[in-house]
Amino acid sequence: MSLLEIKNLSVEFGSEKNPFRAVEGLDLIVNQGEIVGIVGESGSGKSVTMMAMMGLLEGQGRIVADTLQFDGKNLLTISARERRKIVGKDIAMIFQDPMTSLNPSYTVGYQIMEVLKIHQGLRGAALKQRALELMEMVEIPAAASRLNAYPHQLSGGMSQRVVIAMAIACNPKLLIADEPTTALDVTIQAQIMELLVNLQKSQNMALIMITHDLAVVAEVAHKVAVMYAGQVAEMAKVPGIFRTPTHPYTEALLKSIPEHSKGAHRLSTLPGIVPGQYDRPSGCLLSPRCPYVQDKCKAQRPGLTAIDGGVVRCHYPITAKEA
Amino acid sequence: MSTVLQARDLTRYYDVAQGFLKPSAQVKALNGVSFELQAGKTLAVVGESGCGKSTLARQLTLIEPPTSGSLLLDGQDAAKASKAELKAMRTKVQMVFQNPYASLNPRQKIGTQLGEPLDINTSLSASEREERVRAMMTRVGLRPEHYYRYPHMFSGGQRQRIAIARAMMLNPKIVVADEPTSALDVSIQAQVLNLFMDLQEEFNTAYVFISHNLAVVEHVADDLMVMYLGRAVEVGAKEKIYSRPLHPYTQALLSATPSIHPEDRRVKIKIHGELPSPLNPPSGCTFHKRCPFASERCQQEVPELRALDERMVACHHAESINS
Repeated sequence: MSLLEIKNLSVEFGSEKNPFRAVEGLDLIVNQGEIVGIVGESGSGKSVTMMAMMGLLEGQGRIVADTLQFDGKNLLTISARERRKIVGKDIAMIFQDPMTSLNPSYTVGYQIMEVLKIHQGLRGAALKQRALELMEMVEIPAAASRLNAYPHQLSGGMSQRVVIAMAIACNPKLLIADEPTTALDVTIQAQIMELLVNLQKSQNMALIMITHDLAVVAEVAHKVAVMYAGQVAEMAKVPGIFRTPTHPYTEALLKSIPEHSKGAHRLSTLPGIVPGQYDRPSGCLLSPRCPYVQDKCKAQRPGLTAIDGGVVRCHYPITAKEA
Repeated sequence: MSTVLQARDLTRYYDVAQGFLKPSAQVKALNGVSFELQAGKTLAVVGESGCGKSTLARQLTLIEPPTSGSLLLDGQDAAKASKAELKAMRTKVQMVFQNPYASLNPRQKIGTQLGEPLDINTSLSASEREERVRAMMTRVGLRPEHYYRYPHMFSGGQRQRIAIARAMMLNPKIVVADEPTSALDVSIQAQVLNLFMDLQEEFNTAYVFISHNLAVVEHVADDLMVMYLGRAVEVGAKEKIYSRPLHPYTQALLSATPSIHPEDRRVKIKIHGELPSPLNPPSGCTFHKRCPFASERCQQEVPELRALDERMVACHHAESINS
């Protein structure tokens, strides 16, 4: 059985009359011990999907889904009390900016211990012992002396390690990392990615990596979902999706990376930006920017079709021959 | 070809207060950096946070004077220039900052902001200024009718175009770009990088391109300078360094950069730990604490930059590591 199953998830913001669909008809299945990458530009709905799943959008967005199941529990119908038992324990999240996701007024030791107190009921020496263990697991040097450090005394990389320690404190089944390394230097990014993958293996967690950096995902993920304007444009296995992308958007994203056009004077670009609330086209959402656009694309929204090892949302997917 | 920028042994020390009645400490943010830049060429400066990249940018843009060393801008020595001469020199070197959300004045219309350099430095009339501004807006891919708009009405990529237009208004000899694309999505990054390349071709501007993204640097640079803790550790032509990096730090940076085809990677070396505190740098080679090849000599003796295999490298063991 899959650990996380999302079917036909939609998230709407704004008034009932004039809603803005930040996520539309999203399907995602994550199995135990799997690393899934979610990539897309700003505004494509990557983060909103995860926030909706964790129930962090209460009172702001309207969430509709056919299935939203985690570990056999229906996340749509459970009470807030039950949800609190799952979130932070079985599902944990790491945010982009480690400097702002830690509370500046408390020591990092206190913040790690808080998680353990609430979810595991640890007290006294056992609590401190476990916090130390966690800090050693995330390879913080001189962990014992860092327990009493405040976030401002730590570097960005160290803070991110503390955030990871808090996230894995209760051995979560699913870890969601939202741009975990965007704010960090490359060498530190490499260290944090290695740490995440090692932890994922040793704890047999599922890991969802949300990022706009395709290369980060290419290094670690098993499968990748490419999102565009709230929909999954393409979902396929790694490295296949990077060698032979079938959706024009995936292809365009890959081509715009400097690494792709080595030696070329100009980078190939995708003109325009992700459509916002008022300028979503009636046909395929990519149609105004797509280099292969046809009449059918402007009139009709494509559905998801199965391809080798994944799905693609395009009337005219790129076949291996053309690419 | 003419040399527009020449830095010789540029240093910048900052005094840092340690507390009441304690002697102040000295941070050697920039510790003897030399390079030359030709018109129409790009020098990329690469390194982690805290390595002195931005301090270098502050010296080059004449925002603050160096502690020692000389800086020749278009053949003119900045240290010997009078106040009036300095003002004239500053128009020759302009800057583009990392975050286009913070580098534009939110209360000023775009037209006013772009016209300001002309207002201060030239005797053009208001209508002539407006004409120049509109021409430059068209040049960087903005609609001239957006002259009366405010920065919040633009997307991140458009704002960076505005920032670039502002830097180009006085037709400078040198543009210093400090991480100009790191806040942007990949597809927008490609558009902005293309704009940089086009402008360089048209105006023959020299760029100092500061970045930690080696994939971007490989695309834009002619020459590369890798910095570590205030010193250049490897300087040379881009092709030479990318095809065969000699300094272990350059190798580590290259292998830490994520790739969309990770299986094709040639160099694989990992470094541990983080950049040491510049207040208390390690003795000898400042990299020795993280370097996998460090020997006793590295702990005692500071390696000087020396010519090797058509570039400059500062490592005692460059030959033995790479043989």
